[in-house]
Amino acid sequence: MEPQTKRWKGSVCDADSWVAYPVLSDKQSQDVELIEAFAAPIVDKKETSRLLRELSGLYPLNGLQHIKRVRAVREKGSPHPLEVLVCLVSDAPDLKAVSIDSLLPSGGVRRGGLGEPFVVKVPARPALTRPQFELASKHWPTSFHEDKQVTVALRGELFSPLQKARMHTYMTAALTAARAATELGMEAVGAAVVDPATERIVAVGHDCRGDHPLHHAVMVCIDLVAQSQGGGCYSFDRYPACRFTPPTPDTSQSAAGVAASSQPYICTGYDLYVTREPCVMCAMALVHSRIGRVFYGTSSADGAVGTKYKIHSQKDLNHRFEVYKGVLGKQCEALNGPGSHIKREIDN
Amino acid sequence: MGTEEGRKESFYPSDEEIEKWMSSAFDMAKDALQSGEVPVGCLLVYDHEVVGKGRNEVNETKNATRHAEMVALDQLLDWCRRGSLDVSSVCERAALYVTVEPCIMCAAALRLLNIPAVVYGCRNERFGGCGSVLDVSSADLPETGTTFKCVSGHRAEEAVEMLKTFYKQENPNAPKTKTRKD
Repeated sequence: MEPQTKRWKGSVCDADSWVAYPVLSDKQSQDVELIEAFAAPIVDKKETSRLLRELSGLYPLNGLQHIKRVRAVREKGSPHPLEVLVCLVSDAPDLKAVSIDSLLPSGGVRRGGLGEPFVVKVPARPALTRPQFELASKHWPTSFHEDKQVTVALRGELFSPLQKARMHTYMTAALTAARAATELGMEAVGAAVVDPATERIVAVGHDCRGDHPLHHAVMVCIDLVAQSQGGGCYSFDRYPACRFTPPTPDTSQSAAGVAASSQPYICTGYDLYVTREPCVMCAMALVHSRIGRVFYGTSSADGAVGTKYKIHSQKDLNHRFEVYKGVLGKQCEALNGPGSHIKREIDN
Repeated sequence: MGTEEGRKESFYPSDEEIEKWMSSAFDMAKDALQSGEVPVGCLLVYDHEVVGKGRNEVNETKNATRHAEMVALDQLLDWCRRGSLDVSSVCERAALYVTVEPCIMCAAALRLLNIPAVVYGCRNERFGGCGSVLDVSSADLPETGTTFKCVSGHRAEEAVEMLKTFYKQENPNAPKTKTRKD
């Protein structure tokens, strides 16, 4: 298989009209939180290693392992080349008259080589993404264990043109189902479940709320996948645009590292393409179904994988999955318009 | 029409009602356990009548959304259809009795159908949607039906014990997890 980050040249297709961006967890997307600390200039560079050793004994800065204790002073003509973090403001013994002596009480640290302290702001938490790292570094240097896939995904460059062409096909199937739902007077939402290992569409479904108030497109698809595995509990035979493909055991022996003997188990390893962001019920149904990844076109007001919640990255839940939004975003957005055939003039 | 009174009644079920309906819900949960399903059982009660009952049937249907509540809601919809009753006016005056706190999915489904009251046994630390993991029951979600009230704690220890019994067994349908080599 191609590495996901491999760039492809040429091959212009419709898939160039959209970009899929990752929907990251709150921790990954939140602003950089800062806390105040006292730093002091190291006036005698030779004392640096001793100061570091003694300071980390006196003020270990627990929970701030990502913070680099010493920073180089960038401004030219500075009288001192290095600055060191002494302690957090909250750790300082006396805030009324702060001097280097008051911060370094009897013994422990010899103050030789240190200048007078001043207040700086340092990042309270390790950076999880490159944008967070770049913001954090403006305040104080930190270490950063980069997740390269996240960095590439945030640039919108995770998927190769070939992968995007396939994603385009899958979302087009979901869009076609959504239009079929509109014809039936249902909500214009469609979805497709794909097995990325075999590149096969396992199920396509659309909103069937006219029959059953909980038959959102995702719920319909989940039952169609169950039907493809010999289970399921509804019949969608009346709706030709809701369909599933039973697994074909012969072709599953192909490459992609899939053991031929392994039976599909609910939605494990499958991808879902859905025209709009799933609601709370559907998002949690996808957690229960152990979906692999979710791709959606456009956000929804009570959406639960980005807008109101990020159930795919929810702490305490036993299954997490990646979510990308923006696949055929304009076409998906147009489904919500009054008269879905009219192209909407206003974006966002 | 006395709808105000009806709503009040469903918000505050009497101890007697709780005892009676929860006892049936526990019977459903026991049935689930004996069938190798997660032991959760529930009843939907409207106007002193059971209009839906369910227990978990995930393994049986290979559909991970077949929780007791979803099964019972399907029965309520069928009951309305058979009696040519308006679904929303029935749901607005129905109460759910369930052995375990509804999960996030079921809590959202209950909201979408405007069920106003839920009586449950124990908390659901893994998936709970009425405060344990998320509080979907009272969250500000204008496009997701209406909020509902919860009464919790009835026979909670018993409900927990049943879950523990289930999770001690191995789920025969789950794929085998690889054993770590180190």
